[in-house]
Amino acid sequence: MTHEQASELLAAFALHALDRDEAQAVSAHVQSCDRCRSELASWQEVTGQLGSAVRQVTPPPGLREAVLAGIQMRQDVIQVRRGWALGLAAAAALVLLILAGLGVSLGRQLTAISTRLAAQEQVLALLAAPSARSVSLTGSVTAAVRFVYDPDRGRGALVVSDLQDPGREFVYQLWLIAGTQPESAGTFRPAPGQPVVLPLVADFSRYQAVAISIERAPSGARQPTTTPILSGKI
Amino acid sequence: MTTGTILRSEERPMRSSAVGWDVDRGMTGTDQEATLLARIARRDATAFETLYDRYSRAVYSLALRMLGNPQAAQEVAQEIFLHIWRGAGEFIPARGSARSWVLSLAHHRTVDALRRQKVRTVETLAEGDRSAGGGADVVEQALRGVEGATVRSALMTLSADQREAIVLAYYGGYTQQAIASRLKIPLGTVKTRIRDGMQRLRVQLAGGEEEPQ
Repeated sequence: MTHEQASELLAAFALHALDRDEAQAVSAHVQSCDRCRSELASWQEVTGQLGSAVRQVTPPPGLREAVLAGIQMRQDVIQVRRGWALGLAAAAALVLLILAGLGVSLGRQLTAISTRLAAQEQVLALLAAPSARSVSLTGSVTAAVRFVYDPDRGRGALVVSDLQDPGREFVYQLWLIAGTQPESAGTFRPAPGQPVVLPLVADFSRYQAVAISIERAPSGARQPTTTPILSGKI
Repeated sequence: MTTGTILRSEERPMRSSAVGWDVDRGMTGTDQEATLLARIARRDATAFETLYDRYSRAVYSLALRMLGNPQAAQEVAQEIFLHIWRGAGEFIPARGSARSWVLSLAHHRTVDALRRQKVRTVETLAEGDRSAGGGADVVEQALRGVEGATVRSALMTLSADQREAIVLAYYGGYTQQAIASRLKIPLGTVKTRIRDGMQRLRVQLAGGEEEPQ
């Protein structure tokens, strides 16, 4: 698409009124054209005002919860299946790969599997690292939870072998604590009867401790609202 | 219903002796929005919450206006905020304001949802709607939902044809091609109306707010 063609279409592009092919062509041109980019920005200020002018309505309260849960709930938790279930999971993954090879669209499942595989690889590498350290988390509940980390490589993992279900209305939230400032490392639930592992990438020299608190499901809190039930110095 | 903030204030403010932490120090209102998006790109959930609280009304209201259905608007709004969470790194401050970036993303996702919906419901549209042909009914309905006085009066300075084309495109989610078929006019005519109308809107809206009454 030439500069003239693209610049003719910029206002319609900002309105999202082009069909898919045209929109892609304009978008590609804009990436490499400073003039069109600033022209587009000025059209987007106009469409932004059109968008802001509609009657303002308070969104339902459930939306906030749902949105925050969507970003907080960790997608890369590894559930360690005991016994034959492990073989079954591997077989299921193989079947998905074969179907994908046959052209069956399985994008989402494959993304989930590769996220999980990457997480597992990361934990295995961590365990193999000579500089890795391990600390048991202790506190007000009986649990078997360890934090394994490699300060040299900035990799860590929370290994939850035994931790009771927090109940439907709550989740566990993991925190890294820098000075007095806790930083959320996501929320999780233990799987019944199954250990779970949460991989983590962080600069551990910044933190003095890890801690787990119980927070409201599903989104947790941006800062802890309760005393941690488990913590450990790192 | 309670919001997260209210929930937190109801909780006991507790501290652990083993691990000292400050409960909810919050954020100041002076955070620049571009900075917010930069922090979201670094996966700062606190910044994301602030952005959510600032934009959820605007995003939801736009989706509701366009989709006309609270359930669908809620679903799209959720999708929009996940896109913001994942795509905040694509925002470049030199290329426009954070507000127009957020609203443009919101509009784009809502248009997509609207087009998916139309594919599904095109066969079930009432005969009356189809035989009406023109866009007058849709335009009138869309304009009733436009409450911003500046934008309203700017739209009123356009010719009826330009206003119809722009309203059908922006609030109705129609492509230029779809507008041409709907109005039974040549595509070139639609393009001209949109270009000229947008040109005029830009002039009106750029000067509108500073002008004394």
